[in-house]
Amino acid sequence: MVTRADGLEIAGVADTLASGRALIGPGVDVLLIDLALPDGNGVELIRETRERVPNIKIIVVSIFGDARSVVRAIEAGADGYLLKGAGEQQAEEAIRSVLGGGAPISPAVASHILTRMRERMSPNGPSPDVPLTEKETAVLIDLAKGFRYKEVARLHGISPHTVADHVKSIYRKLAVNSRSEAVFEAVQAGLIKLKD
Amino acid sequence: MTPQQDPASQPRWPTTLVILLLLAAFCGGLLIINATAENVPGRRVADGLVADTPGATFQPATLPHWNCCSTEPLIFRTTLDAQTANARDPALLVVSAHDNARLYVDGVLVGGEGPSTGDPTNWSRRPRLIRIPPPLAHAGAVLDIEVQRSVGFGHLRPVYLGEYDALYPSYVALRVLRADMHVATGVIAAFVAAFCFAAASLLGARGLMYSLGGLAASWALQVIGLSPSDPPWNGAVANGIYFVGYLGTSIFLLWFFIEWTSVFSERNDLRHRLGWLTAPWPRKARRALGLSAIGAMVAGAALIAVTIYLNPPIGSQEVDRACGFLGLAVIAFCLVRVVSYYRRNGFRDPFEASAFIFVLIAAVVDIIMVRFFFIYGVSLGAAVMFFPLALLLSLAARARGVFEAATATAEKLNVLVEKREREILVNMEEIRRNERAAMLLEERSRIMRDMHDGIGGQLLGLILQARSRKLSDDALVSGLEQSLDDLRLVVDSLEQGEGSLTGALGAFRARIEPRCEAAGVTLDWQIEDVGATPNIGPDKTLQIYRVLLEACTNALKHGAPTRIGVVLRRDGDSIEIALADDGGGFVQQTAAIGRGLTNMRTRAQQIGAELAVASGDTGTRIALTLAA
Repeated sequence: MVTRADGLEIAGVADTLASGRALIGPGVDVLLIDLALPDGNGVELIRETRERVPNIKIIVVSIFGDARSVVRAIEAGADGYLLKGAGEQQAEEAIRSVLGGGAPISPAVASHILTRMRERMSPNGPSPDVPLTEKETAVLIDLAKGFRYKEVARLHGISPHTVADHVKSIYRKLAVNSRSEAVFEAVQAGLIKLKD
Repeated sequence: MTPQQDPASQPRWPTTLVILLLLAAFCGGLLIINATAENVPGRRVADGLVADTPGATFQPATLPHWNCCSTEPLIFRTTLDAQTANARDPALLVVSAHDNARLYVDGVLVGGEGPSTGDPTNWSRRPRLIRIPPPLAHAGAVLDIEVQRSVGFGHLRPVYLGEYDALYPSYVALRVLRADMHVATGVIAAFVAAFCFAAASLLGARGLMYSLGGLAASWALQVIGLSPSDPPWNGAVANGIYFVGYLGTSIFLLWFFIEWTSVFSERNDLRHRLGWLTAPWPRKARRALGLSAIGAMVAGAALIAVTIYLNPPIGSQEVDRACGFLGLAVIAFCLVRVVSYYRRNGFRDPFEASAFIFVLIAAVVDIIMVRFFFIYGVSLGAAVMFFPLALLLSLAARARGVFEAATATAEKLNVLVEKREREILVNMEEIRRNERAAMLLEERSRIMRDMHDGIGGQLLGLILQARSRKLSDDALVSGLEQSLDDLRLVVDSLEQGEGSLTGALGAFRARIEPRCEAAGVTLDWQIEDVGATPNIGPDKTLQIYRVLLEACTNALKHGAPTRIGVVLRRDGDSIEIALADDGGGFVQQTAAIGRGLTNMRTRAQQIGAELAVASGDTGTRIALTLAA
């Protein structure tokens, strides 16, 4: 989808999880990844990549950008998402935005994250290790309503960069909490035994 | 209440045996005391007594039996024998005088109770041990025992002469039998009465419990009337209390036996050889009996009060005689009832049987003893302690039978309920499975319908156009884009399944904003966070999307607006979604607008929402209202 753009070069193309793994290296700045791969789920590769190359930017490519898959990818360590079928220009913009520290988020994803966070806050769920701040929650609510970064920034009297920072912070917390939640669930299921 | 044939309520002979043994031990103790009392180490002078009866001076003493009714005291005379006169501390033991007794030695008053003239202020019924002062004690001294006449008609049981210390143990034994035991039975009766009255409403058989309580209470009243210590009221009042207690004992005994022999009878019909005398009484008749028993008590008490008030000594004697006959009649009636009760039902409850038989025998024996032999009876006192105990045990045994039957029924019910519960659980599981399957099926067909309505039609249109080679490249791209957009609309609506309409509508902004921008129209996005909207699932969300999309298309095509506002807000439990523009309104109704409106109405109807359309010169507003 992205063939050529100033300052952007294709490091490699892979069709499978296995060949994707081989591609990842220190020389790669951005990973565009589809979740539905023939030999496995892209989420695994996202997690591996995030561990091996901490500074790499990971963008999920999805046909529908449905919130469930996107949030799962973000929990694994993705930085943003891109709709399949978007024009070349849009794709380039998205890549540059992520490289420049942006954090794209759709209202559906924001709403999904809100729901997840509220579930965690409920008495019978695991309480999040890193709860969202009031400001982050407020920003997330406005993003869920469909407001753009600029609009949210104006509503809260902050700069669009700060909004992006909030979103990135939310993504990080989501990833951290998802790891602790996984541990919690594993303990609940008896997969992991904690020492007394 | 019908007698239970349950094994639990079968006779408990071992327990009954224990009770009867205890009773035998108790009666044995009483007999020993009585023997001590009667085995007096002194000279029995009953035979030597002569009495000064009205109209004759010093007749050989045949004791006046119900010699009604006189006020002057009876004087019994004997002489002091040499042995007693020479004793260190001579004394006279009066075993029993029902009324005040005083001792004169050679015409000198040496001891006893009661005034010499006028009405006595109290009637002492105690045994007495009176010292004969040594200066007066000489062989042949004349001993006059003066007995005032009241409840006891002046009767006197044998007296004994002897050494004071030798007579003392007999005196104590007599006091135990005739005073202390009375107090004990009175206290027990008071407790039984309190229990019966308190438990009557709990146990159900009210008449039974009230009559037993009345019986116990009236016994306690008798004891108060016979109080061995001098009461704060005078003798006439004490006699009145005693007689009211006696009357109550008779009346409540009658009521109680009718209750008991009716309640626990298996066949409740009056068609019996002797009718009401022996047959069980129906509930209504027993109720009337209870009320008339209370009425008879009140009337009898009033009559007793008046009779004694008018003439205390004579009245007391008249009342006593009447009560004696009443008591005998009642006992006889109860005997008949008990006998017919057992003929009818057989001996099934040993507690009950022992109580009845014992109390009836005791009463008969005591009445005969007191009335005909002037010997103080002890068996009724023992029976009074035993009677309520045995009856309460009998009631408890019956209650246990009922309780066990109830427990058995409850257990059966429990088993039944558990079985039903299991069945229900299985059914519920199946229903849930079916529901889930139905939901999946419905969801699948809905998605297929949505695809068919939207993307299917669009793709088909594109194919037809391409076949006829009328399709330009631009049209193909825009057509395919539209199809993908529609597919995304479906996906977006599906996401709504687990969140809030806020996010779903937020996602929708991207669908209409590019169009608005292309038409140079400002999109005024006024979305509130409406929180959880559990009632608005993917199906409803998709219809909302489509209504909004239709409204937006209409506004852009026909209204020529400069501004389009989208509103989402919550009012209590209802959610309002509105799209408003500042265009020209539906001034000119076109076919397209009409079809669009019809579509919107159909969709609103499908999701149970209200559609409000307002159009005028200043613009159009289309609003959906539905439950959150």
